[in-house]
Amino acid sequence: MRVAIWFVWLVLVAALGWGVARQLKISSDLRDFVPPARTADQKLLLDEIGKGPGSRLLLLAISGAPDAQLADLSRGLDAALAHDPAFTHVANGSHDLAQIASALLPYRYLLSPTLDTHRFDAAYLRAQLQQRVEDLSSPAASLLEPWLRRDPTLETLKLAQLWAPPHQPKLVDGVWFSHRGEALLVAETKAAGFDPGVQARAIESLQGHFAALPGARHAKLVISGPGWFGVQASRHTRAEAERFSTIATIGFVIMLLLAYRSAVPVLVTALPLLSGAVVGFALLALIFGHAHGITVAFGFTLLGVAQEYPLRVFSHRRVGVDTAQCVRELWPLLATAIVSVCIAYLAFFASGVAGLQQLAVFTIGGLITAGVCTRWLLPLVVPPAQHDMAKTPGLARAWHFLARLPRPRWMPWLVAVVGVCVVVFAPGKFWQNDLSALTPIPKAELQRDARLRAALGAPDVRYLLVLRAPSAQGVLALSGRVAPAMRALVARHALDGFELPSRYLPSIATQKARQARLPDAATLESALHQAMQGLPFRAGVFAPFVADVEAARKLAPLTPARFEATPLGARLESMLVQQGDGWVGLGTLSGVNDPAAFAVLAKDTHGTVHLLDLKASTESLIIAYRHRILVALGIAALLLCVAVTLALRSPRRALHVLGPMALATLLVLVVLRAAGIPLSLFHLVSLTLAAGLGLHYALFFERRTGDELEDLRTLHATLVCVASALLVFGVLALSSVPVLRAIGLTVALGVAFHFSLSVLMAPAGHLRREA
Amino acid sequence: MRALRRLAVACLALTATAALAAAPTLAESLLAKLAKAPPVSTPFIQVSYRGMLDRPLVVSGTLRWLGGDRMQRDIDKPFKETAQLGDGELSVQRGSGEVHRMPLARAPQAGAMLAGFRALLGGDLAALENDFALSAQGSQAHWVITLVPRTDQLKRQLASIVIDGRTEAPRCLTMTDANGDTSITLVGAMAKQGLQSVAPLESALAARCRNQ
Repeated sequence: MRVAIWFVWLVLVAALGWGVARQLKISSDLRDFVPPARTADQKLLLDEIGKGPGSRLLLLAISGAPDAQLADLSRGLDAALAHDPAFTHVANGSHDLAQIASALLPYRYLLSPTLDTHRFDAAYLRAQLQQRVEDLSSPAASLLEPWLRRDPTLETLKLAQLWAPPHQPKLVDGVWFSHRGEALLVAETKAAGFDPGVQARAIESLQGHFAALPGARHAKLVISGPGWFGVQASRHTRAEAERFSTIATIGFVIMLLLAYRSAVPVLVTALPLLSGAVVGFALLALIFGHAHGITVAFGFTLLGVAQEYPLRVFSHRRVGVDTAQCVRELWPLLATAIVSVCIAYLAFFASGVAGLQQLAVFTIGGLITAGVCTRWLLPLVVPPAQHDMAKTPGLARAWHFLARLPRPRWMPWLVAVVGVCVVVFAPGKFWQNDLSALTPIPKAELQRDARLRAALGAPDVRYLLVLRAPSAQGVLALSGRVAPAMRALVARHALDGFELPSRYLPSIATQKARQARLPDAATLESALHQAMQGLPFRAGVFAPFVADVEAARKLAPLTPARFEATPLGARLESMLVQQGDGWVGLGTLSGVNDPAAFAVLAKDTHGTVHLLDLKASTESLIIAYRHRILVALGIAALLLCVAVTLALRSPRRALHVLGPMALATLLVLVVLRAAGIPLSLFHLVSLTLAAGLGLHYALFFERRTGDELEDLRTLHATLVCVASALLVFGVLALSSVPVLRAIGLTVALGVAFHFSLSVLMAPAGHLRREA
Repeated sequence: MRALRRLAVACLALTATAALAAAPTLAESLLAKLAKAPPVSTPFIQVSYRGMLDRPLVVSGTLRWLGGDRMQRDIDKPFKETAQLGDGELSVQRGSGEVHRMPLARAPQAGAMLAGFRALLGGDLAALENDFALSAQGSQAHWVITLVPRTDQLKRQLASIVIDGRTEAPRCLTMTDANGDTSITLVGAMAKQGLQSVAPLESALAARCRNQ
């Protein structure tokens, strides 16, 4: 019967888990997880995060083979990616931009800046035709000749040059090469740069294309860029988490076998926790339909408290007494712990941030389920106890040792005062606002990214130039106006290069002004006739040119919508976005050396053009987010105090429970601060988990049983809980992934301090009875 | 290294049938005689006949083969221009103006010219045969080598390159574009002799290359 119930329970958890896994969408949309944007830049950051130009770029380098072979591989990869729907753009230097420009051939006189400074009069045409004569003797003559009759001033070529990357790498065999002899490519993914799931598929597809190329086996493909780092980071973190949890699970099983001398706890101890997690996910699926990846990670961490519920039951069972009876005796205290923690987490629900609300729903639902399972289901599946844990060898000696420890009454106060001083006055920054400090990407890879970025002239991921105007045309006009100022900044080495939306599409006003400067057919004919005097061109050879100019005079100017349908459309699309009632232009910058130099630009344009520091904006969001968490945690702490006081019906008893918790939390902060570790959100969540565990230790040590054996069972339960938490999180503290290390170190430290202090600060007469 | 390559070419020629081997053997022996160690330079006069022009364009200067696939063409008259070919790239600088660079892949004609001169001056038959079908007519004393592109990319731009020469010296290199335009480049002794008219007729110049 017990086995049957156990089996049904297991199957139910598995089935519900499977169903929920199919229903619940795990999102990586940061907007769910941070507070609503306050400033326009924060809003832009959230709207455009990872979607903007630059962040979707992957930088590719192929090495390890002779140049000619690398060039072939580069061309092969380029061709494959051009047909891959996961990529919107690929470049390796081999593309003839003149061909792209030819798609916009009729518009060339409206797009090229030539007419801003020149007119198609006899003098200008003469100078141009003179140069064309010389061009016809050059080795590249056959390249130009087909164009000359239509385009003797080479506007198509000027557009191609205008649209070429500002700093092209050198060409070897017709494709880009770095100075280290790697073939270079850039590929723009369709997916946002910070969407690791979709990026992973795009990168896999890219690697597949490369592996399928002939000769690829001997060459090496290196990928870099935000998308690659995101994928690497999540892969690395997952691999490390899996490895450590395997080690921890094995250790945990061995420990359970040693502690309980029975296989039963191993088989059932995980069930309440798993049931809680599955119910938590089901609630998320029902209420929100989706959950953020960070919610899941944080939620699982916080739910770790529930692991203690069945362990407490196993330690407190007595031989010959029904398990259900033992659970009933424990239940008031367990319920107090569960209800207090759940009330505290309500503060998260009131925070107004979707990610934190999800966290609250998941944790509260999970904890209550785990508690209910422990109370009513667990007794049905476990066989009667074979041993009394109070009789564990050495336990009584440990008890006497702990009981005899000195407990000066002034000690906690002194520790608190010294602790506060250390936390406040320790040097080093208190908070970690720099997300990149948490990335597990090796330094060498970051350096290589910087090198490839410089070699390719690829845009900076950190800075964007933001241009705001009421309309798309307004943005294009503004972009045209600031271009000279930007060129001046380049000349002053404030930055290496830039790309503005107007580089691809000038405003309609500019196009119309150029159109107005085009001569009519008769005027052009006569100017051309004059210009050709004495030059070897055949009469009438430029008739297609005259016809094209006449046609261009009557063209409707090119709009963004029409431009976006051309091969270059994707580039303009990512640089020109609608936001609210207005439009925003995003200019990409490369090699920003002097961010302060942009302040003048912002002043001169009355703030319509300014430098957006994505890092600073992200940090401001993180600060705002942390503020919300701190407020929520503060309220949670207050709610917890009230709940514990009400449950124990005595402020004095509540102090004995809450005092060690507060002091232990302070001591963890002291260690982190003294070690110079700046605190991140992960530390805060870990502190919360440790406090949840500490609440159990303090509650159980505070309990008056008047029964020495029951006290020994309490010690046994607590020791098993402490050892398992130290094992799981202590192992995690050894991780090379900063996030895992932060969680592991903080929880392990917290558990150690909470345990020590709840022993040392237990009310007089409980532990001291024997001393 | 070159001796080895030539040996390899000779071995291949021996194993081929006699009829097929005849032409490459003449071409190879001719090119072998022409081969010189870089750097090699020669004066040149290029006369271009283009459909959109009503008279030929004449430029003159110096051609230099710097070894490997690196070449330089300096125009002295009627304007100054330096064109450099190498590493798969063509760079052109007129006067003291901006340097324009482009991949040779995009200017196949320039690539063909490089291959032709490299073959002439370096005697590198193997490199030439990748891109061109070679044939040779005439005798050791008075010969004509014809290069016809093999690849579609080249064929779109270039119909043929014909090299006229006497004994150990090339005289003229005639490039015919796919659209029928031609340019005749006089090198060596022919270039030193100069042109007999400011705008020589194409037929007259071609006859001079063949006959003198």
